[in-house]
Amino acid sequence: MEKLIEILEDLQPGVDYENTENLIDGRILNSLTILSLVAEIEDEFDVEIPTVEIVPANFNSVKSMWALIERLKEEE
Amino acid sequence: MKKNVLKSILFVIFFVVITEILTYVVLPGSNVRKMGMIKVATYEVLGEQKNTIDVAVIGDSLVYSSLSPMVIWNEFGYTTFDCSNPAQLITESYGNLEAVTETQKPKIVILEANELFRDDKHKKLKYKMEVLYRKLIPIATYHNNWKNYFMYGSKDNWINIYKGYKYITKVESGKSNYEMTYSSKKEVIPDKNKEYFDKIYELCKKNNIKLVVVSFPTQISWNYKKHNATETLLEKYSDVEFIDLNTVDLGIDWKKETKDEGGHLNYLGARKVSTYIGEYIKSTELVEDKRGNKKYASWDEAYKKYVFYSNNQ
Amino acid sequence: MSYFDAIFAFLFIPILIVIYNIVPKKFRPYFLLAVSFGFFCVISKFLIAFLLLSILSIYLITNKFTKIDKERDEVLEKTDKDNRKEVKTLFSKKKKRWLVLGILFNVAMLFGFKYVNFFGSNLNYIFDLFKLDVHYNIIKYAAPIGISYYTLQAIAYLVDVYNGKFEAEKNICKVALFLSFFPQIMEGPIVRYNDTADQLFEGKSVSYNSFCFGYQRVLYGFFKKFVIADRLNIAVSMIFDSYTTFSGGILFLGAIFYTILLYMEFSGTMDVVIGIGEMFGVKIPENFKQPFFAKNISEFWTRWHISLGLWFKDMIFYPVSLSKPVKHLTLHARKIFGNKYGPILCGGIALFCVWFLNGLWHGAGWPFLFYGMYHFVMILSGNLLEPLIQWLCTKLHINRQNIVYRVLQSVKMALFVFIGEMFFRAPTVRQGFVMLKRIITNFSFSSFKDGGLAILGIDVYDLAVIIIGVLVIFVIGLLKERNINVREEISKKNIVFRWFIYYLLIFSIIMLGAYGPGYIPVDPIYADF
Repeated sequence: MEKLIEILEDLQPGVDYENTENLIDGRILNSLTILSLVAEIEDEFDVEIPTVEIVPANFNSVKSMWALIERLKEEE
Repeated sequence: MKKNVLKSILFVIFFVVITEILTYVVLPGSNVRKMGMIKVATYEVLGEQKNTIDVAVIGDSLVYSSLSPMVIWNEFGYTTFDCSNPAQLITESYGNLEAVTETQKPKIVILEANELFRDDKHKKLKYKMEVLYRKLIPIATYHNNWKNYFMYGSKDNWINIYKGYKYITKVESGKSNYEMTYSSKKEVIPDKNKEYFDKIYELCKKNNIKLVVVSFPTQISWNYKKHNATETLLEKYSDVEFIDLNTVDLGIDWKKETKDEGGHLNYLGARKVSTYIGEYIKSTELVEDKRGNKKYASWDEAYKKYVFYSNNQ
Repeated sequence: MSYFDAIFAFLFIPILIVIYNIVPKKFRPYFLLAVSFGFFCVISKFLIAFLLLSILSIYLITNKFTKIDKERDEVLEKTDKDNRKEVKTLFSKKKKRWLVLGILFNVAMLFGFKYVNFFGSNLNYIFDLFKLDVHYNIIKYAAPIGISYYTLQAIAYLVDVYNGKFEAEKNICKVALFLSFFPQIMEGPIVRYNDTADQLFEGKSVSYNSFCFGYQRVLYGFFKKFVIADRLNIAVSMIFDSYTTFSGGILFLGAIFYTILLYMEFSGTMDVVIGIGEMFGVKIPENFKQPFFAKNISEFWTRWHISLGLWFKDMIFYPVSLSKPVKHLTLHARKIFGNKYGPILCGGIALFCVWFLNGLWHGAGWPFLFYGMYHFVMILSGNLLEPLIQWLCTKLHINRQNIVYRVLQSVKMALFVFIGEMFFRAPTVRQGFVMLKRIITNFSFSSFKDGGLAILGIDVYDLAVIIIGVLVIFVIGLLKERNINVREEISKKNIVFRWFIYYLLIFSIIMLGAYGPGYIPVDPIYADF
């Protein structure tokens, strides 16, 4: 989880990632940033995020992103 | 449930009341109250100031698409008014003439000829609805008069820009080099129409008005059979003139100057007809040029607006 | 026929609602479907065949997906662990083939109706250029109404079922109603199946409250269209039709006027559409969210024509940027440009596709393609410059939350939008550039000296009505932006106040609406796309 926050801090600093729950709906991360994020996550955690999973619900908070990563790992 | 029904009814009642009040505000003619609003809404001419109209042109859609009073005013200084509705019946034209003579003392009345052949059964529902709609919801037609209030204050000074004419810029080409095919047959004029023509004639006579029957240019509604029938009808009325503009060469370019494939003229064609009719009025020597006359300053103002609005279209 | 037809809104809809409420609940969806088909036929007559083909194709193919999945599961049960992966890929390939077929079939119809002539006429230029003796004959025909909208909905439905977002619908009428619901057919919004289909098929009766609430929304749309858009139309056509005669400042005013007109016309239509949906108990998603309060042009497009933006994001942007070749490219780019710029550059490929198609979707013509490319450049450069601006702001100690900064940001964004819409409205790209050049080199209002406002074909009263109207809409937008729901606030007040507001709205439309002699209404702009 810390690793994930680190990635986010690197991509877009100055956001309280731990407590924000509307990263997408609140327009904090735009679609191009999401692309970088997806690339980073795939690299770091060795998972593949399919297009279907790229929905606001999965990226609105660090928690939900983490849940997604865990889920994808299991499915592997 | 009951409460909602009551509320709805109340809402509609208030709606109607406010509409009536606002209709009273925007309807032209300072004597709206005396004459009843529906009447003013039906006969636009009642909005004109008393005894200012020289020539009333009465008939169906051919009138309001062929003759622009503002063109005649600008070129000749005569005051004309189009009293016409889509697919107007001659019975309705009689009503129009009555309305005109109520407030005006015209010297000439031009009666459009095509309506002689139309009877109630053949009038399309669409046109009946349109007339009814104007009668029942006049506010939809007259709402823009709120500007008149701000500009001219009292209703006596309001300006009607188009004087019954409909400014149409649409072009839908008709047949080029059109000429009516000759025929010696006659179309039938319904008896009721003959009767009403007679009533119109008598009313004109009573009011000392010269009656002229005119057929306006169209490739669709008019033909030689109607021409012949009209001529025959008018044999009995020696003092009524008949001008068939479909047999006169007005130089109309049917490629550019019609709005619906030859059915009616657009503003370009209307200009030519208006000039021709202006010349005719001049030849009768019954009407004088009113340009520069202070009493008619509002017509100059209307012409200015006419140019302004027609440039927009 | 337009949704702003008084006969449609105040005669057809009430009668429809009465009948709808009489029809037994079970049959109401079918009644709505019949009405929707009827509505389509009134406008496009026998072209409804193409809509039916679209419905049939997505219905059959999505059900084919279900069948393939079932077969796969049956086969999987019988195979041992080692071969499972093979079986899976085999079946997913089969599924994909059907998906591609479905998409191609629907796109082909759209393409056939909207783009063949455009490409044909441009091919002719090329033929002429090489002096080839071939010629494409341009055929004139009308496209089925709303084909650009329902085709996108159809494709999204195929993809969503393919991805397992929801199961394929077994009742073809439900799919049909989703695709052809009459208030949405002309100008969208482009909704997803799970947005509206269930509500549409529920057959809820129209209640007194939903009826009143729905009509309020419809009237709000009428206000935007009749009081503001139609009144602006005169000046806008004047400026764009004879742009050579005006000084730059007035041309710029034309760009602003047109942007306002477009907003009022399109968002007003959406108010009518959403209002009618509300009456039938269908919550159609919003298509606008106070776009002019956006911070930058990229955000603007998430607030203007939202449904189209979402569609492009889900159907084009992510699939393209996460496709294998692009992903591969991203990996390389990240090594060279770093983790920040690498993905942006590759996202740029996807962004290009989005805006190219967005331009094309709006119409087959160079101005629309230019319009798409304009936004592509604006949004990409905005993203590329962002780190630089951030760096500058920290260095110069500028607080980006500062009100002055925010206002300047909004002004900049609005400027970009106005220019973009100017190119959108201009009949040729060339005219757009001539206008832009004059705006930059000759920014003056000297043309007003010749005759004041009259040169724009409006008078001071028109202008006053426009300004008041825009202010009203602006204030309502501002309140919404502050999370104050104006309609709910009004409904909490007492009846005298509420009715006063309603009558004010109704009679301002009747009295101040720019209809009747002297005014030409705006055509439904977005119905042509």
